[in-house]
Amino acid sequence: MRLSKLLAGLALASVVLAACGTTGGGGTANKGTIKIGVDLPESGAETSNGIPTLNGVKFAVDQVKSVDGFTLQYFNLDDAVNGVHDPQKGTQNVQQFIDDKAVLGMIGPFNSNVARAEIKVTNQAHLVQISPANTNQCLTKDIYIPQSLSGVPDVDCKAAGYPFPKDLRPTGTNNYFRVATTDDFQGPAMSDYAYNKLNLKKVGVASDAEAYGKGIADTFSIRFKKDGGTIVKRQDFPNASHVSDFRSFLRSALAAGAEGIYFGGTDSNNACVVRNQMKGIFPDSAPFMGGDGIVTGQCIKDAADKVVGMNGTVATVAAEKVSGSQATIDAFKKAYPNSNDYGAYTMPAYDATKILIAAIDRAIKANNNNMPSRQQVLDAMSKTDFTGVLGHTSFDDKGDTTNKVITVYAVKDASKGWEVDTTVDLSHGL
Amino acid sequence: MASVAAALKGTRTALSGALGTWLFLAGTILVLAVLLLPKVISNPAFFIQILIYGVANGAIFALIALGYTMVYGIIELINFAHGDIFTLGAFIAIPLIGVFGFTDSTPFSVGVVLVLLLVTAAVMVIDGGINMAIERLAYRPLRSAPRLAILITAVGMSFVLEGAMYVWRGANNVHFPDLLPGTRISFLGASLGVKDLIVIGSAVILVVSLNVFITNSKLGKAMRATAQDREAAQLMGININRTIAATFFIGAALAAAGGIIFGLYFNNIRFDEGFTAGLFAFTAAVFGGIGNIQGAALGGLFIGLVQAFSNAYYQAALTDVWIFAILILVLVFRPAGLLGMQVPEK
Repeated sequence: MRLSKLLAGLALASVVLAACGTTGGGGTANKGTIKIGVDLPESGAETSNGIPTLNGVKFAVDQVKSVDGFTLQYFNLDDAVNGVHDPQKGTQNVQQFIDDKAVLGMIGPFNSNVARAEIKVTNQAHLVQISPANTNQCLTKDIYIPQSLSGVPDVDCKAAGYPFPKDLRPTGTNNYFRVATTDDFQGPAMSDYAYNKLNLKKVGVASDAEAYGKGIADTFSIRFKKDGGTIVKRQDFPNASHVSDFRSFLRSALAAGAEGIYFGGTDSNNACVVRNQMKGIFPDSAPFMGGDGIVTGQCIKDAADKVVGMNGTVATVAAEKVSGSQATIDAFKKAYPNSNDYGAYTMPAYDATKILIAAIDRAIKANNNNMPSRQQVLDAMSKTDFTGVLGHTSFDDKGDTTNKVITVYAVKDASKGWEVDTTVDLSHGL
Repeated sequence: MASVAAALKGTRTALSGALGTWLFLAGTILVLAVLLLPKVISNPAFFIQILIYGVANGAIFALIALGYTMVYGIIELINFAHGDIFTLGAFIAIPLIGVFGFTDSTPFSVGVVLVLLLVTAAVMVIDGGINMAIERLAYRPLRSAPRLAILITAVGMSFVLEGAMYVWRGANNVHFPDLLPGTRISFLGASLGVKDLIVIGSAVILVVSLNVFITNSKLGKAMRATAQDREAAQLMGININRTIAATFFIGAALAAAGGIIFGLYFNNIRFDEGFTAGLFAFTAAVFGGIGNIQGAALGGLFIGLVQAFSNAYYQAALTDVWIFAILILVLVFRPAGLLGMQVPEK
């Protein structure tokens, strides 16, 4: 009895030892583990942002499983505190990634203000960071709104209330990349859409007078004039979150001949209350336009019975509009069947993960098939030349994607909410 | 320095007395005429449209301003929590309306009117009760303490109420069901909504009834007496505590009605709506003459009009600047306000 147990144990041990001894054969992952850190807001009101994005990462890692004999794993941490994304929690999370030797790169974060806190930390550790969703231009560029877009002198990041990119990178080299483009293209993209697709010639423009809102309203206006249209009325509302009545503005825009309204601002600054108040003033067909600040569920609630006819830009690629990507989307939806599993940033997260894995693969090969250092992954990352579900991605020296695409969302059917309408490709300049 | 002080003192009485009142009124009307007349002539229909908006907004400000002015008149307290009592009224009404199953798609009917009246009455009582409780717990114990103590308490109560509403309904706009008819009628070239009429009409009814109540009822008389001289009133057998509590109740009831009217009119309300609305209403109360009921109503109307005209004809970015510039001018040249202060005599 005793002997047989011992023999069985020895047999089992020899099997395990034999397995360990095999090298390289048939892609068996046994050289160790490489982890991909994932920092996203996963709880509370942020669940609808973070979880579909995290699913994109999971789906990519589960597809690839291993790279050059190393097992791939994701290591995800939640940066939401009490249900709201938190920069400090974000830095704690990236510190955990840095402390784990197996983490060679990270995906995230979701929010630009979290990125601003995290880059300072990851930069010193030479840890590659790639965000699927950040769109604030000051993470990579010095100029918040260039004169060429706004018609008024350059507004630099400091004037807009953000630190310069170099202040976020103490080592002086870049370790931050993103697959979304920047917010400064949102205004021009919507302008082209309004003039060419919505056939608007006269528009009333307002903003919440904040850096983001006024910025996109200014860039929309200058581009719209270049397109051949007229801005018939312009107002900026400081403390827009406390303004309850926008009808005087709407009436004066209508009296001046406006066929639609562009509002630069966020739903929390009453952007979609403006839309609701167009009721009884503008004809039902008059469109309402804005940036990603209105492409939200809260906006749908605020606009109430005036949701149809809203159009908003988001500074990221919609994989649905990239040819050849539908198969991956379908495969994802098969693996994650719940409708809440998929979101606007699922496929960007999927591609970001694939890009990171490809860089890790190149770094391993460059290091004679051994575990590369973080610096080697970073070097490989800058040489990215990748074609995936978002189309073709490479990075400029600041870390911005060369795949500059703005997606226009629209509400055409009240029961369906925001839907992808079209994409505007600005990769070849405006 | 002395001469500057004397000159400043001079400005404070420059527009007092009957002649001063006329000068002040004439000056205000003249400035409005110079600024607006060319706009009226170029597009009268548009002017009337904006006028309607201004009057409707002003009516809501007036309802809030009444509470400020009544409380100030009787205990010389700027009740900073009053704006939040206004928001609270709308917040309490939303679930009560929900009980009856009314939504945006409910057609306007007699039933809707009855339910709205019932809900409004209930909310006025609840909100009034809450304000009375606040007075009892937070203000009454400090009534004889230095003015600053009770003022800070009022600021604190404002944060408590806003915090409670934030926890209750969150940071975003809360939808208030759109129950009033969207019918619009043509009026002198402008488009007048039935909603506008209902808002203006109900505000007028409330202000007039309050005025009748204050002038004719026994409690109204007690309130006026307490406002004039608290000790003398007490000697005459007036229950001071009950009178002050009643003042808080009535002020809050009007603010609650204002909150429901706001909700029905704009269909969106947020936990901190009362902060700015309260600030404007307070400005309206000072403009009209603090402590003065008719003054507060007129002041509210005036602020509503300034806001609407500024947003329509001038820069919206400067609207608040206009309103508070007016407040400063009034405080410097006519501290008693449009219709004169009515505060306790010292």
